[in-house]
Amino acid sequence: MTEGRRRRNVLLALALALPAALALALAHGSVPLPVGSVLSSIGSALGLPPFAPPLEPSAQAIFWTVRLPRVLVAGLVGGGLAVVGAVLQSVFRNPMADSGLLGVGSGAAFGAVLAVRLGWSAHVFLALPMAAFFGAMAAIMAVYLLAHAAGRPSLQGLLLTGIAVSALASAGTSVLLVATEEFRVKTVLFWLAGGLEGRSWPHLQIGAAFILPGVALLLGLARPLDVLALGEDEAGSLGLPVHATRLAVFALAALVAGAATSIAGSVPFVGLIAPHALRPHVGPLARHLLPAAFLAGGLLVILADLGARTLSQSLDLPLGSLTAFVGAPYFLLALRANEGRE
Amino acid sequence: MTALLEAQALVVSRDGRIVLTGASLSLAAGEAVALVGPNAAGKSTFVRALAGLLQSTSGVVRLEGRTLSAWPREALARTLALVTPEEGGAGSLTVRDRVALGRYPHRGPFRSFTAGDDEAVERSLRQTGILPLASRRIETLSAGERQLAALARGLAQEPRVLLLDEPGAHLDVGHQLQLFRVLDDVRECGVAVLAVVHDLQRAAAWCDRMVLLADGRVTAEGSPRDVLASAACADGFGVEVRGHAVPGLPHLLYSFEDKRP
Repeated sequence: MTEGRRRRNVLLALALALPAALALALAHGSVPLPVGSVLSSIGSALGLPPFAPPLEPSAQAIFWTVRLPRVLVAGLVGGGLAVVGAVLQSVFRNPMADSGLLGVGSGAAFGAVLAVRLGWSAHVFLALPMAAFFGAMAAIMAVYLLAHAAGRPSLQGLLLTGIAVSALASAGTSVLLVATEEFRVKTVLFWLAGGLEGRSWPHLQIGAAFILPGVALLLGLARPLDVLALGEDEAGSLGLPVHATRLAVFALAALVAGAATSIAGSVPFVGLIAPHALRPHVGPLARHLLPAAFLAGGLLVILADLGARTLSQSLDLPLGSLTAFVGAPYFLLALRANEGRE
Repeated sequence: MTALLEAQALVVSRDGRIVLTGASLSLAAGEAVALVGPNAAGKSTFVRALAGLLQSTSGVVRLEGRTLSAWPREALARTLALVTPEEGGAGSLTVRDRVALGRYPHRGPFRSFTAGDDEAVERSLRQTGILPLASRRIETLSAGERQLAALARGLAQEPRVLLLDEPGAHLDVGHQLQLFRVLDDVRECGVAVLAVVHDLQRAAAWCDRMVLLADGRVTAEGSPRDVLASAACADGFGVEVRGHAVPGLPHLLYSFEDKRP
């Protein structure tokens, strides 16, 4: 099969699987809703004639205020994280790179814990995600400034600075957690474990405001990204302003990953496995890989969130644990396959 | 002959160490120049500085009479191409996509692929003899084929000056001959070619002019025969070089003996 045909097949499969997963995720949950009525309800909101019996009023309320925004948030967060993973993997020229490298996760966690510790999250609407977002941005800025303190850094230098800043933020998080009242610790632990319980339209709006433009701009940088992935010397000799491009890409990646993490908490491995699994099939060119990664990441988190909601009768499982249960074994297998090849 | 590319008294530091201590060089259209020298002489630094990738603390590089820093990036990349040893990234790219990235300076971030771009890519693939490999992924190629793909990317830029850092490294003798034959074709089209070559025998057989770099500056320059026979060469490498005429061969064969105590 030619590269082009294989790529089209994969994209087609993703484009078909995504609506199916959406329908599945919208219909299933603690209160099952009939798929036909769900689709009809969406259709009539878009001005189409109804084609199935309408949802009952209580089901209608569940669907519109709880389930639909939550599923859409899941898709958005997953898509954003996967695109960021794809971008960072090509910039760092490492198929195992992820937004965690830039300190996003630990910065967001620090911000979230701070918001809880100071009591903001109990009084101010959306204070926790906002603080998490600013924490993520602060961590990334710290990584960038520290790495540039001694002139233009190598990728290795950026990476190691990211690890150091992450460790620092985690240490701060631990200190804050110990100093926080027990009843508040629970709020933040839930957030740290990653999850979409209670996420609704405002979260979707905020997420969309950052993630969609960020992803669109990264897609606009597709060609410079491909050149950047050739390495510093070659990219420079092809006329690309390497450091400026890298800075723009990191800023956009940070924005998207920061927004996703602030809404959903820690959702590990999505940014890693979605692009990693796709690259052999759609190739490494950003104009093919990024859209495919967006679809696959969305699909992955929608399904993981469905699992989080439905696998246990009595409680919501942490979304982050589910993606890790799937992602970590995949990661280990990929690592082994990689070493086997070498 | 007027110089297409010219460096005057170039001083370049890397990681706080002065690597080039006043290196000068000039390169004319259609010329094949081999840059030789012992390890750590600064050859790679020199070609990167000539390509405008490294800032010099003093001295100047001029391309078509204009200092490099006055060139817009993309215009520079349309005029001068640098091919370095493969760094190993982008392994899942196909050869054709890899070579097509050489059109970046012509297309920039947004212009779509034109018939002219297609033609340049096709020509580069054919010229380097890797057209049959066009839809293979880089990671499935041998080291020699990868090197040819990197060269094809440089040719797709349609440069007037082509700089190469050890293009023959890791290549078997067949691939080496193929690669230098491609460089000869390129030069015949009027492109100025400068290559860092480790193998003195290969360099002597290929180039019009040899430039010897030692301790960060040019210590000998001229025909391969003169440069290899020079005291500077013996000093630079710490060896004694002897040229032997062999009936039926157009160039001398060289033997090298350690002259260090």
